[in-house]
Amino acid sequence: MLSRGNRIIPAVAIAGFVLWAHLGSGLPVFRPHVSLEPDWEQFRAAYHVNDFGEDGHFVRAAQNGYNVFFFTNKYASRFTRKTSTDRTNACASCHSPEDMAYGFVNSDRFDAKLGRRVSFEERIMRCFAGPMDGFVPTLYDPTVRDLRIFARAVAHHLQLGEGASKGETRPSLRHR
Amino acid sequence: MLIFGGLYWLTVQKHAERDQLRLAAVDLTPSCKEKLQGYSLAAAEHYRSPYVRKMNGAWSTVRGYSEEDVRAIQRGCNIVDDLQGHLAKSGSRERWHGDRFVRGGQTTCVHCHQGVGDKQDAAGNRLVGSNNLGASWVMADMYDRFTGMLLPHEWRQMQCYINSSNGFKPNAADDLLRDVTAYSRFLAAALDLKIGNRYPEQGMDEITAAATLRRGDDYVRGAYVYRQKCATCHGPQGFGKVVQGQVLYPALAGPESFSFDSRMNFAKIDTVTPGFICRNMPLGAEGSLENQECRDIAYYLSTLPRPAGDRQGPLVAVWEQLMMIVMPPLMRYAESIGSNGTPQEASH
Repeated sequence: MLSRGNRIIPAVAIAGFVLWAHLGSGLPVFRPHVSLEPDWEQFRAAYHVNDFGEDGHFVRAAQNGYNVFFFTNKYASRFTRKTSTDRTNACASCHSPEDMAYGFVNSDRFDAKLGRRVSFEERIMRCFAGPMDGFVPTLYDPTVRDLRIFARAVAHHLQLGEGASKGETRPSLRHR
Repeated sequence: MLIFGGLYWLTVQKHAERDQLRLAAVDLTPSCKEKLQGYSLAAAEHYRSPYVRKMNGAWSTVRGYSEEDVRAIQRGCNIVDDLQGHLAKSGSRERWHGDRFVRGGQTTCVHCHQGVGDKQDAAGNRLVGSNNLGASWVMADMYDRFTGMLLPHEWRQMQCYINSSNGFKPNAADDLLRDVTAYSRFLAAALDLKIGNRYPEQGMDEITAAATLRRGDDYVRGAYVYRQKCATCHGPQGFGKVVQGQVLYPALAGPESFSFDSRMNFAKIDTVTPGFICRNMPLGAEGSLENQECRDIAYYLSTLPRPAGDRQGPLVAVWEQLMMIVMPPLMRYAESIGSNGTPQEASH
């Protein structure tokens, strides 16, 4: 049997750890919210992210996708060797959000170079392995999922349908 | 070394078989042939949907499909229409052996996703709450309140296999799921659906208790309505109707039916099945049932024995297995008893 003092010490330690984890650690894994990066609020307003999804879950995922897209070396550091000193260190170095949206609605198509059908998720994996000089995330990784959801949010804003082509169709922006 | 070498050889053979299947011409089911011909699916640089032309009066041109894409879409349609390969020459091989992931011999996607996932009336209007697969695709990745997660299209399909088919989960990258996704995406293109828009044909158009006169749900009343409206097709005990190996009407109870974990189980979610019944049943007379009748029927169905899901535990599973053995003969006997208490010939 532990004495009263010995019982209190573990309880205080656990409570202290929980408070530190949530309030003081700054580690994303302990926080329910996504880090606010510059220009997110402007992006959110400009692309009507709130229109897509009537709850916070989708917006949080889209925001994390935004962070990964524009600050890849910071938010997907596990999957890239690129650092802030590299000239191309983020998805946004090569792509625009619109590129992602058009890429999404044209994914799951046959790629003659690879000789098979390639999904949007595999494109992301190949980007991490190739241009990002890094490692392949799994299909289930939140990094892949949130980039897809980011692309979905932009595609919704542009009101794209399956197979929409950037050069041939001019989708009207959706305003409410 | 021999064992590992043998396994490696087997794996290479299986991959080669898959590649052959991907390259093979697809033998469409009659429903898929009609559906895909109606939408003019063919390999070309551009795709223009005749449905959009008919409904909107103008062509919509999008990126076309390669021959590989067309075959994937065709296979996906076949899987939706005939998951277990009852209509295929080589059986489930042409469906990526989809029967590995389901228990029982009846289940296929089209039971819930009627019209091969794209149910329309005679004028071509897509029907409210008809579980359209194209509309599901454009709304994929959204928050799902039943699972509490952002649900990708492939994961939703996995849930269908686990719960609605009382089976097992295919891999997210399995051809079985990818081909159905390809077909769903093609439907979205053919119907000109836009990413992220909520369309009335998506999902079940759920019916809450608030949509009734609030008399309360009653499974006895449900049993009565079931016998009047549903038993002719689905059987007096809900075991479905199979003729010469072809599933004419799916089982709603018993070992061939969906599990307790399915969203179709009224005891789990009390709005989905009533919505499905009211919008899609009885075939040919859709919309003829009152909201309360649909809720009562769904309640009654949830009281019938069926496979336990993962969440019920082994005791419930054993109990349900026992009930599925004991109840059918008892029910037949009860039905055979006339009003004077003397046994009559059962209709089952």
